[in-house]
Amino acid sequence: MEWKQIANEPWIWICGAILSAIALYQCTYFMIRALNIMKRYGLKKSDINSIIRGAVITSFGPVMSEIFIMIALVVALSAGLAWQREGAAVGSVFTELVQASNAAAGAGQEFGAKNFNMTGFANVIFVMNVSCIGWLIAAGFFTKYLGTARQKIAGGDTRWLSILTVCATLGVFGYWASSSLAKGGGIMVAAIAGGVLAMFFFLLADWIKRPHLKEWALGFAMFGGMIIGKLYAG
Amino acid sequence: MTAENKFGDIDPQVYQKEFSEPIHRVGMITCGLAIIGMFLPPAWLYFQYGVFPPISAIMVGMGLALTYAVPFFIIEPISYYPTLGDAGTYMSFLAGNISNMRLPCAAVAQAVAGAEEGTKQGELIATVGIAISIWLSIIAVFIGAVATGWFVNFFPPWIQDAFKRFLLPAVFGAVFGQFALRGKRYALIALVLALVPILFKWKAYVVIPLAVFGTIIIARLMYRPKKSA
Repeated sequence: MEWKQIANEPWIWICGAILSAIALYQCTYFMIRALNIMKRYGLKKSDINSIIRGAVITSFGPVMSEIFIMIALVVALSAGLAWQREGAAVGSVFTELVQASNAAAGAGQEFGAKNFNMTGFANVIFVMNVSCIGWLIAAGFFTKYLGTARQKIAGGDTRWLSILTVCATLGVFGYWASSSLAKGGGIMVAAIAGGVLAMFFFLLADWIKRPHLKEWALGFAMFGGMIIGKLYAG
Repeated sequence: MTAENKFGDIDPQVYQKEFSEPIHRVGMITCGLAIIGMFLPPAWLYFQYGVFPPISAIMVGMGLALTYAVPFFIIEPISYYPTLGDAGTYMSFLAGNISNMRLPCAAVAQAVAGAEEGTKQGELIATVGIAISIWLSIIAVFIGAVATGWFVNFFPPWIQDAFKRFLLPAVFGAVFGQFALRGKRYALIALVLALVPILFKWKAYVVIPLAVFGTIIIARLMYRPKKSA
């Protein structure tokens, strides 16, 4: 059986449903606890409705842009795997794509290339899922201590923490962008166009004072870069 | 309007007993279950289809993936905690999409109710806001995955080829471009540290750690902490 076919069979949808059920149980339990206390201390129903309305409106844009970007994951892997990883998991679509590339490289293959086979796919499944456990360990077992940890690690210097995360992201995406540049042709053009378009849309959002444009900036850049690369290559 | 106008001061003992304690208990259990759940897909793939990657592929793949992810394991929970609070941290790191969805929802819910982050009222309100966003996003992602899975079958061959060959390079370029805006000097360093060894045909498992840790080390050497007044 082809890996593409296995990647969309019921098993992967069920795995995604199990993780989503855990997340939904958790958030519903927390919400009921919070609402009980809020009501007891006098918060009116109309205030609660306002909070819910605000959350729904705020989520709408990011949810729509996520689904738009998710097309990338559906095409590169499968709809089932996109659901399993994005229903309730830590990484964004972009993180998942870079981790899939890392996993394929681990198997000596190139993600999306002709040599990508069942072994590469199995490694993608393992690495994508298991490599995100660190976030769950940090949240699940260290949330109690995060307040003090923040003070100790940063020593009050949160600016350095922010620079450190930017550098880690630049390092890994710098590698994958550079490997695209080194290939030349349409692949190089797609990477450059993606980068230039992303910078343009993020700057544009600031210039025209439309911060919500940033939610869509990466999606536009990604699809724009892809189309420009294809047009160049023919 | 402040939160105190909306609802009164909460008794710390009530808050501890009826919110904090059960939140930590259930948060720990559900995150533990999710950790086990992450092993389910590779296990299922093995038991149903008899496919499991070679250990060497896992070691190298995990090494590369963790090189990228480990700094975030430490920094993200610490950075987001003041806004998310205890319950928000458990929920957000289980459901994902923190910076683009959970944090804005927590902030908007707090603004609507006039509560400040870091207060008990603020945490309760953020909890409701984040929980609502998780329900919404899980339902929408499910519908979106089913719909796009069906929809992509109708893409013309030209578009399918574009997705196949040029999507990933465009993604890598786009994310690099986004973060380059947040640190132009570091972007140049990362690009040089990655591109030069690639041109010399060095392997990914050498170049990725070199690019990540090299950029961090050089940035640290260049970094000048702001002196407090």
